[in-house]
Amino acid sequence: MDYPKRYGVVVIGGGHAGCEAALASARMGVETLLLTHNIETLGQMSCNPAIGGIGKSHLVKEIDALGGVMARATDKAGIQYRVLNSRKGPAVRATRAQADRILYKAAVRHTLENQTCLDIFQQSADDLIMEGEKARGVITNMGVRFHSDTVVITAGTFLGGLIHIGLESHSGGRAGDPPSIALAQRLREMPFRVDRLKTGTPPRIDARSVDFSKMEEQPGDNITPVMSFWGDGSDQPEQVSCYITHTNEKTHDIIRAGLDRSPMYTGVIEGIGPRYCPSIEDKIHRFADKNSHQIFIEPEGLTTHELYPNGISTSLPFDVQLDLVHSMVGLENAHITRPGYAIEYDYFNPQDLLHSLETKFVEGLYFAGQINGTTGYEEAGAQGLLAGLNAALRSQEKEAWTPRRDEAYLGVLVDDLISMGTKEPYRMFTSRAEYRLILREDNADIRLTAKGRELGLINDTIWQQFSKKKEAIEQETQRMKDTWVQPDTETANKLNEFIERPLAREYSLMELMRRPELDYKKIAEITGENSVTGVVAEQVEIAAKYEGYISRQLDDIEKLKRNESMKLPTDMDYDKVKGLSNEVKQKLVECKPETLGQASRIQGVTPAAVSLLLVSLKKHRGAKPLATVSK
Amino acid sequence: MNDVLHSTDTIAAQATPAGRGGVGIIRISGKKANDIALQLIQQQKYLQPRFAHFQKFYDNNQDVIDEGLVLFFPGPHSFTGEDVIELQGHGGPVVINSLLNRVLNLGARMANPGEFSERAFLNDKLDLAQAEAIADLIDSASEQAARCAIRSLNGAFSDHINVLVEQVINLRLYVEAAIDFPEEEIDFLADGKVEGDLQSIIDQLDIVFKEANRGVLLKEGMKVVLAGRPNAGKSSLLNALAGRDTAIVTDIAGTTRDVLREHIHIDGMPLHITDTAGLRESPDAIEKEGIRRAWTEIKDADRVLLLVDAADVQESDIKTLWPDFFAELPDLNKVIVVRNKIDKTDERSGVSELNSSHVINDVNEALSIELPTIRLSAKHGEGVDELREYLKKAMGYQSAVEGGFTARQRHLEALKQARYYLGIGQTQLTDNGAGELLAEDLRMTQNHLSEITGEFTPDDLLGRIFSSFCIGK
Repeated sequence: MDYPKRYGVVVIGGGHAGCEAALASARMGVETLLLTHNIETLGQMSCNPAIGGIGKSHLVKEIDALGGVMARATDKAGIQYRVLNSRKGPAVRATRAQADRILYKAAVRHTLENQTCLDIFQQSADDLIMEGEKARGVITNMGVRFHSDTVVITAGTFLGGLIHIGLESHSGGRAGDPPSIALAQRLREMPFRVDRLKTGTPPRIDARSVDFSKMEEQPGDNITPVMSFWGDGSDQPEQVSCYITHTNEKTHDIIRAGLDRSPMYTGVIEGIGPRYCPSIEDKIHRFADKNSHQIFIEPEGLTTHELYPNGISTSLPFDVQLDLVHSMVGLENAHITRPGYAIEYDYFNPQDLLHSLETKFVEGLYFAGQINGTTGYEEAGAQGLLAGLNAALRSQEKEAWTPRRDEAYLGVLVDDLISMGTKEPYRMFTSRAEYRLILREDNADIRLTAKGRELGLINDTIWQQFSKKKEAIEQETQRMKDTWVQPDTETANKLNEFIERPLAREYSLMELMRRPELDYKKIAEITGENSVTGVVAEQVEIAAKYEGYISRQLDDIEKLKRNESMKLPTDMDYDKVKGLSNEVKQKLVECKPETLGQASRIQGVTPAAVSLLLVSLKKHRGAKPLATVSK
Repeated sequence: MNDVLHSTDTIAAQATPAGRGGVGIIRISGKKANDIALQLIQQQKYLQPRFAHFQKFYDNNQDVIDEGLVLFFPGPHSFTGEDVIELQGHGGPVVINSLLNRVLNLGARMANPGEFSERAFLNDKLDLAQAEAIADLIDSASEQAARCAIRSLNGAFSDHINVLVEQVINLRLYVEAAIDFPEEEIDFLADGKVEGDLQSIIDQLDIVFKEANRGVLLKEGMKVVLAGRPNAGKSSLLNALAGRDTAIVTDIAGTTRDVLREHIHIDGMPLHITDTAGLRESPDAIEKEGIRRAWTEIKDADRVLLLVDAADVQESDIKTLWPDFFAELPDLNKVIVVRNKIDKTDERSGVSELNSSHVINDVNEALSIELPTIRLSAKHGEGVDELREYLKKAMGYQSAVEGGFTARQRHLEALKQARYYLGIGQTQLTDNGAGELLAEDLRMTQNHLSEITGEFTPDDLLGRIFSSFCIGK
């Protein structure tokens, strides 16, 4: 049957990408349908029970800055928080929270159910409704036809999912859930380039069978950080500790003895797994000289005894899993509640996407999350948000938006995927961001919230809260710039006690704060002026400390913008560009970059090739009106 | 839309061919061109447009580098459409080198191959019909530049740089791993390892920089490779070419026992001549290696002189004699056949050249037409002058595009920038304990070094981290 209500956006999948996509589109006032095969698993954390970490928290805060749910759900569910790299400087600091799965899921579901313009429907999606080359809706398993302007697919590992434990394998989207075979089949019929990836998960353990007294306790930070810009931590649940144990020679022997029954080492698994999150058998095999690995024992939640032993992801047979767990200190009598497994799944070459995450072949069809070759809740959520907002923009007949690499980790993520593709599950790291000093987790709101407001993603309450903070930062920065300290005054003498070179001329407070010996707090103590909140002071201080670096990066960004604003026509005939080597031509044809800037980031595309493209563009523009170039 | 085409930076390059010309011209284009000129000549006043000012050029110690003419062409009425300054000084390589260095220090950056013309085109100073020509220029200029870069990286300099780059990568590996994987018990920033390694890299870079500056490690000039059988008379030709040149004959360090390099000047223009092992099939392992190296040299050459004994080989036989040689050559247009020992035959000395605009496209064509041929007697000197003239002409052509001189400038500039960022990074680490800022400075260091050695992406770096450390919570 044709469903009577017509939607602007239909989102397939209720994982982290799907939830953010549906919420973003609905926040923008576009009628949205979230189609999930099981309402009970909306917002499910299917792998480790943690949100954030290096590079990832940056994405979470960006989602938050654009009004998304992930950070706020984390604050409702976070049971152990730590700021990583806290001694290494603000640009690389990252918040990480252990989350209670049940609380997290509940928070996400609560948000979804209370979002206006958003309907939820439980049924698996089997097919797309096509109008020529355009996606115009979804057909469900029982034949319900939902008509829409756009479709966002966030199928995660469910497309052609194949679960491995030892040499046994069966199809599945996640342990206990069926895969989406029909939809995978349908998508494989389209001209997308499909390949296989692999990921894995460790066996879970019953806390009642674990001896914590033999393990090292890892408590959360003393002052519990807050993930969301818009919260104050008052809704955070009770805080608990994680524990650390280690593998040992015995563990390694057990694993080595089991390798002949490992699907990874017997060639059963063909998909490529992530290098940064190797299975325990991989670690033992590749780093044979290391005789111990640390294993983090993470609680799955406050109301369950299940534990997540982070670091022993494995697809070895169950009997080996049991032995290797028992070989570790504190886990001698551990009871496994769920076996670990590896899962292989389809992903689509992200080079077939535009920066809006719309597919190049089918108008109105968007892909987000693991389907694009990424891994991680945060990477998925960020893409979901972007795909959702762009699907909504298309439905509103507005122009697409994607942050540039210098504006957000989200921009880096999408540009990396689209320009270079990926051969392993893509995870964010701060070293991927060339503008790392500007793209910090502490300033994601300053970078993105105004844009979010413009797009319709930010409600009035958040907007007011943000505007107030921004104004306070500006005022305080101005005050620090305008307040001068003369040498040989009382203030100067007090300052001289802390600094190496005494003040020889007048300095503004802003200049003084650049000195390594001084910070906002010290200056505030000495001058007796401190009227701003911690977050405001932090922003002012970081701006002072990073000043030289930030202005250098801003110069670079100016140069970058020229190439970013030069659009390359999608039907550009690279064969006709004189002087390009065949290798460069092939890469350009493969990737079909949208801008000159993107072209310049494809590996092997030389500065000379970029010059040739620029000349060629100019030539065409000279010959034809501008409109034919900027599509 | 048009204004986005405007570049933000100011570029500079030598506009005249390398070598000892009478006048050397440096061209500067961009917003800062005028400022740079005023600082160079230590004047505050405005330069009258399109007027030749006779001025002294000063270095940063107020010493005079040279004196000459300064011309200011304000945009848009200039070659590139931007503000352009032309400095006309004396043509010697040392003077021009110092002048260009000073200009770069004052805030210009070394122009990319063909960049002046590119800017002219983008700013509507050249018409559409010239677009193809610009594309050709960028293409050939950058190819030439790449070849020059590779060449100036031969031997000792290359070894130094490669070691340095490897060490920078290694250091970044530790710094980035400490930042991106703080839970892996690999905090190298805290344990002093990074500090020590950084100091060692800085020390080495200082040495390399000093040597490069003295010209010990880098040589400029066109590269000519002599190929042919041992008895074809290569050594005689080498002596004939070098012997008449009363100036310089040097052995360059790093000479391999099977590839002999000579550095000579013809009328002040530098030239590298490389003598290679005979190219023939050989079962002997050492000779095989010699031949492999000979091929490396040939592929890297600007001109290949294929020497034959005129008494042994008929002119028509040359191509059929060595079909494999022609098939393997990457560019057939750089081969010139030298028929030596014409004193033993009745041939007349001289050059028979192809129509200069003719481009040979493939092996079959090369085999079917007459290759440029020079007949000479290295022993008696007949025809050697013609060869010198021929080489000079070839050299003049290539210098106009981008010579080894510019390639060297580029490298020195890159090294200087790399050294600068290493210094800042070191301060950040030792004074401020700011590992993330050191990381940024190391990234800049590598960006500059990569102009010499090629791209290294964040993904390459991550790959190295994952293969070096067992990462994975």
